[in-house]
Amino acid sequence: RRKKQLDKTVDINIHKAELEEKMFSVKLNVVDTPGFGDFVDNNDCWLPVVDFIENQYEQYLRQEQQPVRKGVVDMRVHACLYFIRPNGHTLKPLDVRAMKAIGARVNLIPIIAKADTLSPAALRQFKKRVMDVIDAQSIRIYQPPVDSEDEHSSQRNREIISAMPFAIIGSDREVKTEDGRHVKGRLYPWGVAEVENDQHCDFKKLRSLLIRTHMLDLISTTEEVHYDKYRTTQMKTRKFGEPKLKKNDNKKFRDEEEALRARFTEKVKLEENRFRQWEQRLIAERDRLNKDLEQEHNLVKQLESEIEAISNSGSPNGKFFRK
Amino acid sequence: MAPSAPSITSTMSTRATTPRPSSYRYKSEKRGMTYNIMLVGQSGLGRRTFLNTLCEREVIPASEAPNPDTANVADPMRFDTYEVKLEEEGTHISLSVIDAAGFGDGLDNTSCFKQLQDYIEAQFDEVLVEESRIKRNRRYRDHRLHVLIYFIPPTGHSLRELDIELIRRLGEYVNIIPVIGRADSLTVDELQTFKRNVMRDIDFYKLPVYNFCWDESDSDALKENRDIMDFIPFSVVTCDEVLDNDYDSVRVRRYPWGTIEIDDDSQCDFVLLRYILLNSHIADLINYTEDVLYENYRTKKLEVGGFGEGEGEGEADEDDDEADEDEPSSASAKKQA
Repeated sequence: RRKKQLDKTVDINIHKAELEEKMFSVKLNVVDTPGFGDFVDNNDCWLPVVDFIENQYEQYLRQEQQPVRKGVVDMRVHACLYFIRPNGHTLKPLDVRAMKAIGARVNLIPIIAKADTLSPAALRQFKKRVMDVIDAQSIRIYQPPVDSEDEHSSQRNREIISAMPFAIIGSDREVKTEDGRHVKGRLYPWGVAEVENDQHCDFKKLRSLLIRTHMLDLISTTEEVHYDKYRTTQMKTRKFGEPKLKKNDNKKFRDEEEALRARFTEKVKLEENRFRQWEQRLIAERDRLNKDLEQEHNLVKQLESEIEAISNSGSPNGKFFRK
Repeated sequence: MAPSAPSITSTMSTRATTPRPSSYRYKSEKRGMTYNIMLVGQSGLGRRTFLNTLCEREVIPASEAPNPDTANVADPMRFDTYEVKLEEEGTHISLSVIDAAGFGDGLDNTSCFKQLQDYIEAQFDEVLVEESRIKRNRRYRDHRLHVLIYFIPPTGHSLRELDIELIRRLGEYVNIIPVIGRADSLTVDELQTFKRNVMRDIDFYKLPVYNFCWDESDSDALKENRDIMDFIPFSVVTCDEVLDNDYDSVRVRRYPWGTIEIDDDSQCDFVLLRYILLNSHIADLINYTEDVLYENYRTKKLEVGGFGEGEGEGEADEDDDEADEDEPSSASAKKQA
């Protein structure tokens, strides 16, 4: 755990589950991103998330382009839940930037996490402020369609939209309330905050939106709107079957890359210096040997000329010297 | 409309009746002890309501709605100072609270630490200059920070990188007391686990939080201080409204599923923290700042030689003589300032 604290990137963890309700089975995949926004410098911490989303689109695109398209695995993200910290004032700049980047590529559903720290009046005010910021900053969030065939579901849809962003309390434990009921909730010394109580939080609304009423809509908007947008932009710049360009502009990796490159050039320089010195030594050695050779050669020549001189001038006294 | 001071039911009450022999007691009768607190933490953790609850009146008004058009740009850090005069069990305290707003709210927070450190050093420098004047200002008000209250967000897991870095960098300049803000979002079990994890992190990274047991000479106090250290980090819940019962007024925070009483020490540590800050440990904190932290800073600063002293101080270090000769001109310039 401690090593993770100083690790500088966001993780992507995938959990798979199969749900079955009334003879209808759903393969549910949940992707978790621990480490998001936990660092001192949170610039670009949404990049791993955005890359993951685009990679899923890319995989699907490639599979569509195969000759045999039978067993297509669809891992495209159909909904993204963005958990906002309830600080009581407004959205933080990190939230704004990340939501803008993510909302342009996938169905974004903003959620107020740990809603049990805000009193009801503060919660209402916070929700209003968050929606104001979302409008002012042009952040795209998922808007469920309102009108449908019967009035009952239209009414329900309107209620759901007015409750956005959803305030959530999370608990998987069962606790006992003062009046003896067993509910899923959080036990405090001063009371029990119930998860499935509409007075306490919006969990039931969110659950029905995600898994009951709007599941089909979420899937089809992903297919028709977001995936299609990705496909169009990619097709414009790439030919059929060409692999995607990889842009590695993650700042943290860039720093490491620079460091590695600097080390590499230094090593190369050192080796070059070594070779140069070796070469110079060899040359010096060669010159020295050549000089020795020349000296010897000169000596030999001298001796030869002496011999010549002696043999030329030695004919009258030749008998005398040959002794 | 402030309610009366809360009744203290903790064991600290027996200590308060015997006043500790300290020169501060005598000074305080006349002028009021100078006491400087700084509140640091991300926005939304309850710093301002903490101050209001501490002083039992509204010192900082509620902020107005932020502008949604500028939500994508973080506000820069600023230091807002509030002066309050309190009276605690006969002692007058002239409290000055500095709220470090904007800490940790931006995308890239690496410059926040430097700003805080510069601020604290600036206060020390002022005192250093003041001490070396020929003619000292009698009415000089000491702005050195005596305690820094750091608000940890109630994530329930452990300390984040931001928290660790802050305590590590500022622990040598000021007494840091870690506090869990908005502690009403943690259940009883979660609170215990969180406190344990935070303490383990503090031990593992050797973070310099204020050690209540620094004065080992007073053995009765030592045992009580060790008990206090079991509560670190203190869980804080702040007051939303005051309910008037038949007997007295109760400070509460109301939810659809229950009501929290701020002054009940089985529900949160606010009462204990207030007692420590304003009654029992005020002398300790001030002493530690002046005798240890300030002296360390002074030694470091004078060794480096960045300060000319002229004919001021007798207890200058060995290296000061060089500093004196090097910068006589700067010393005279500072005296005129």
